[in-house]
Amino acid sequence: MRVRLESLTKRFGTVLAVDALDLEIASGEFVALLGPSGCGKTTTLLMVAGIYRPSAGAITFGERRVEHLMPKDRGIGMVFQSYALYPHMTVAENIDFPLDVRGGVSKEDRSRQVREAAELVRVDQLLERRPAQLSGGQQQRVALARALVKRPDILLLDEPLSNLDARLRHEMRGEIKRLQKEVGITAIFVTHDQLEALTMADRVALMRDGVLQAYATPTELYARPANRFVAEFIGTPPMNFLAANLGARNGSVVARAEGIELELAGARLPRADGPREATVGIRPEHLAIVAPAEGDAAGEVYVVEPMGREQVVEIQVGARRLRVIAPPGFSARVGERVGLRFARERLHLFDSASGERLA
Amino acid sequence: MAALARPLPRAELRWTGAIPYAVLLVFTLPILLLYGWLLYGSFFPRIEGLRPVGAFTLENWRFLWAPETVEALRFKAPIIPLTINTFVFALSTSLVVLFVSSMAGYALSRIRFPGRRTFLAGVLLLHSFPSVTLLIATFLVLRQLRLYDQLLGVILVKTAFELPFGVWIMKGFFDTVPWDLEMAALVDGAGRLRTWWRVVMPLVKPGLLALGLLSFVSGWNEFLLPFVFMPSGTQQTLSVVLRAILNEGRFVDYGLLTAVGLYYVAPILLLFFFAQDRLMKIYAGGVKG
Repeated sequence: MRVRLESLTKRFGTVLAVDALDLEIASGEFVALLGPSGCGKTTTLLMVAGIYRPSAGAITFGERRVEHLMPKDRGIGMVFQSYALYPHMTVAENIDFPLDVRGGVSKEDRSRQVREAAELVRVDQLLERRPAQLSGGQQQRVALARALVKRPDILLLDEPLSNLDARLRHEMRGEIKRLQKEVGITAIFVTHDQLEALTMADRVALMRDGVLQAYATPTELYARPANRFVAEFIGTPPMNFLAANLGARNGSVVARAEGIELELAGARLPRADGPREATVGIRPEHLAIVAPAEGDAAGEVYVVEPMGREQVVEIQVGARRLRVIAPPGFSARVGERVGLRFARERLHLFDSASGERLA
Repeated sequence: MAALARPLPRAELRWTGAIPYAVLLVFTLPILLLYGWLLYGSFFPRIEGLRPVGAFTLENWRFLWAPETVEALRFKAPIIPLTINTFVFALSTSLVVLFVSSMAGYALSRIRFPGRRTFLAGVLLLHSFPSVTLLIATFLVLRQLRLYDQLLGVILVKTAFELPFGVWIMKGFFDTVPWDLEMAALVDGAGRLRTWWRVVMPLVKPGLLALGLLSFVSGWNEFLLPFVFMPSGTQQTLSVVLRAILNEGRFVDYGLLTAVGLYYVAPILLLFFFAQDRLMKIYAGGVKG
């Protein structure tokens, strides 16, 4: 089912938690609400769920306006960060609760549906246990089964993986993604972890201070971030930024920063010619370490952090320190002089004042 | 995600486990011995010092089967109806306290309404008033309502005095139930009332049990209110009768007093014996898991 949020706004007293959010989610799509804590992503989810009433704006499921409906009338299933399993009920009773409350179904039918939902997330061996007797991963699966058992139109997940340890998180990431596609349900999940958002979602809505910053596919967010905040938030280690002066030469834009001159192929100056302040961004994986004389810039190795598959090297260039991804074979002493080559086609240019993308 | 408690090695368990019991035994032994002595003494005509005198007899307990032969009780209601009265009084108080406290406590814990803090502070203030200081005012109210000298009136008054404590205790228990559980129930399709009944109330069951027991005990022990507000005696409770025995004539029949006293305290002792672990939860409280 398609979900549309229009100028959705939530105020808590004088605090503006969500500011005129517009978002459209296609039927069967898996969308991540991503952002640092306090950005309004959970508030948005709870408005979609019907726990919070919006201060203004509209929420539409399919063709139906729902912002004034109680949660029970919205046809949603939800998985909470804490899983929120009912501690006094067994796993079977937990999964059965939504069916029991809805009524109108025979007991045999219900227990069949409970079993099916439990099999879907592979907890059918645990039906008689209590939540306290389950591991974190099992609790998560039960919460998923409970959210899906009444076949809702929309699945909501609030930080579904943040209470799991690293290995399990990786496993459940794939599991939830597979489940979402298998059931074909429209799903929205909230996370503060960009890796989760990028790996799981079809599209990512990145928020800050209640305002939507970008809404795009993971590939696009990575390749063409809409503004400096997006560029900084997406990608590990984070993008390098350099304050630069812009000039023109032979019809193309030239950025000068820290004694480095970079020609930006295909970029146009936002206004008429003449020098202009801007911020140049480049991801660590798009910088290469070369011999001191060969690169676009030269600097000294500040620190080397081996990460197994690769190494993160920080290089002091003038007053700035740039992070570079180097292959595992690379070795250098701290203080050694090296050259840096910028991948020209991977440069990002942002307005220094507004942070908007220029090129 | 409660970690399973690691079982102690056997030897360690045997020695360290015994220490608390030893300490507790030292402190409880005098009380146990005194109760035992009381029970033992009630089967003899007289007690001199700590030594029972005379032959074994059931004389002191005859109030159970032949109350008309007991001087002090001659003009009182028979003991069995009195016991039932006391039971009704304690049980109704406890049930009404449970009902009102669980609803008021939930509202105070969950709903941010104007005057909430003032109300909580006011309730606490009320709790610190001894009921004696309100006796005259309560009398006037009861008479106005035509509930003076009636069991129902005393039940209402007792309930009112018990409520501040009950409301605070229940609010505390509701505070420990995570919001997430209620949100989950709402999303799962339950309304507010069903969420309260099916999800929240089962989780505060330890609190309900403990509060129910405490107010039952408090009702069972109550002397002042039945004594003052039911003077005519037809609906009196056991505590009032116990006092009547103390007041009768110039010589107090201590043998009788002991027997009636033991009879009076027995239900409470039994209750505590079977419900002690539940009662302890009022201090532990909360949601496990």
